[in-house]
Amino acid sequence: MVRVATPVPWCDGRDGMYGWIWRHLPGNVWVRALISLVLVLAMVYVLFQYVFPWAEPLLPFNDVTVDNQ
Amino acid sequence: MSVRVVVRTVSELCITVGTLIVLFVVYVLFWTGVKADNAMDHQIDELQKQWSKGAVAQGTQAPSGDRATASPKPPGPYTYGKPFAVMYIPRLGFTWNKPLLEGTATDVLKKGLGHYRGTAQLGQTGNFAVAGHRRTYGDPFKDFPELRRGDAVVLTDGTTWFTYRIDKGPYKTLPSDIEVIDPVPRKSGYTRPGRYLTLTTCDPEWGHSHRLIVWAHLDSTQPVEAGKPQALRR
Repeated sequence: MVRVATPVPWCDGRDGMYGWIWRHLPGNVWVRALISLVLVLAMVYVLFQYVFPWAEPLLPFNDVTVDNQ
Repeated sequence: MSVRVVVRTVSELCITVGTLIVLFVVYVLFWTGVKADNAMDHQIDELQKQWSKGAVAQGTQAPSGDRATASPKPPGPYTYGKPFAVMYIPRLGFTWNKPLLEGTATDVLKKGLGHYRGTAQLGQTGNFAVAGHRRTYGDPFKDFPELRRGDAVVLTDGTTWFTYRIDKGPYKTLPSDIEVIDPVPRKSGYTRPGRYLTLTTCDPEWGHSHRLIVWAHLDSTQPVEAGKPQALRR
């Protein structure tokens, strides 16, 4: 499918969130792919470092004591 | 809004949430273990360092120590969140050894087993109570149900080896049953004060509706200079 790069506003509903990000990344396909990869890794880092450590204690695996100190 | 937009949005959301869930499972099953293993190794290293320093200090201190107390000096108060002993349970694996920290808060249990604050100290009269993760964070007590009467639970605080022998367990109870860590635990079968040890973990494996308990009594002690206790020899 050939997509013509037109100055379409972001809210035209032409493609979804990922398509929107992809269109707004600079450079050619390879540069975009590289930036995407970096973004994905950054996302995983933030999740593992901050979000999951916060969410994990909300699950029951931590309750191993009898008095819930 | 066209159907196309709705379908696309829902699809993208599904993919995003699915990826999040997969990543979270990887985090819980795998990454917490990696982190805990690192943290536990670090705690044990810290203890070894402390003990190698302490051994020298004790050697110089011994002659000047007061003779009034015939029994070995009781250990000082444990510092919250700091390691003070290493536990070995041969039944859980010949190489199974975990650091033991003071406190049972969530962040303490990420670094090793936790000693209930306010319960007896190692080797002292009373109930030395310890909690550990069944699953996640290195799965220290994964094989808890395998423990049987007569199994050894060996601990060292750097100067002494303490060998406890399991008397009863695994005993399943409710999380609110705090009497299991009493000095003379109810339902343990013990009738008078003694040097006891209690291990607690969660049950079922991935749940939190119940707790599994094991009780043990102090069987023997020996100074570290005497080498490893019988239970740890092969």
